[in-house]
Amino acid sequence: MAKSVPVNLSVEGSFCVVTDAGEAAENPSVAQASSGSPSLGRAAAAGLRQPIVAILLLIALFTTVSGKPLDGFLMLAVATLLIFDAARSRRQVSLTGSGGGTSVAASADNHRPSPRRLLVRGAWLAAAALYCAVVGSFRRYSWPATASVVALGCLMIAIGWQGPLARRHLGDKPLRRAWLWAVVLVSGGLLELGSLLQQPHLTTDSYAHPTISALTDPVLASFPGRSAVLGGWLLTGWYLVSR
Amino acid sequence: MSSRDATIIGYLIVAAAAISLQVIAVRQPRRLPSLGQVLSHVMQSRTGRVGVVVAWAWIGLHFFAR
Repeated sequence: MAKSVPVNLSVEGSFCVVTDAGEAAENPSVAQASSGSPSLGRAAAAGLRQPIVAILLLIALFTTVSGKPLDGFLMLAVATLLIFDAARSRRQVSLTGSGGGTSVAASADNHRPSPRRLLVRGAWLAAAALYCAVVGSFRRYSWPATASVVALGCLMIAIGWQGPLARRHLGDKPLRRAWLWAVVLVSGGLLELGSLLQQPHLTTDSYAHPTISALTDPVLASFPGRSAVLGGWLLTGWYLVSR
Repeated sequence: MSSRDATIIGYLIVAAAAISLQVIAVRQPRRLPSLGQVLSHVMQSRTGRVGVVVAWAWIGLHFFAR
């Protein structure tokens, strides 16, 4: 049996009646009015509207369709986590008036050079070199290579999630002509997508319309090539999580 | 010129454009932001940071994982 619950609308200063407590959960506008914060559904929808989340969902779809379900699953998992994180932050902002999203990390000590810090850096470099040598010795698309790359990818995503490793002052000035970079990146992506769609099958390479991965196959066929590419990939990842 | 040549030239043009932009940005920082500055800007928010790191992870998965 439905229960009537008087709800105070603090903004208007008047009362309305919610016929059932469950309605508040089902009807976002009611929930928002009753709690003073956006409903979980509305907050999640806001997270879904973020361009990066949409791009990740598209990548998840295309990689799954092109025969890489593991890639697709990981992209989908991260997109879902980002949606939940955006929803949580949005609700937190409306409840407390302060954002809870991005954690800014790391003190200025991170930049202070010290023998101990240099030692740690050297150990990291040695570990990275060992990783490249060991994982480079595995065959591409084998389970050991897959497990090693997935583990490192997840670790770096977790580090990236925590915040930058060093504090940076970027200022609030918008970047001028940054769109030129977007044009270059989008052009490259469209060219790759065009080649992918002109293949006889999404999982079969085309000689006439090679994708970047098809062109890099000869390099990645050898142990030194794989190790070198892994080294570049690792360095790029470290550079990114340090931003 | 075959379709393969045209495709490869297309990739080379994109790569050359990216290198040119970076060179211009380093030599004349007031005219253009470098790729590092653009990435730092995008990575100011958690969504941007995670998005960029995921894109990096995807490249590794794409080339090495099954």
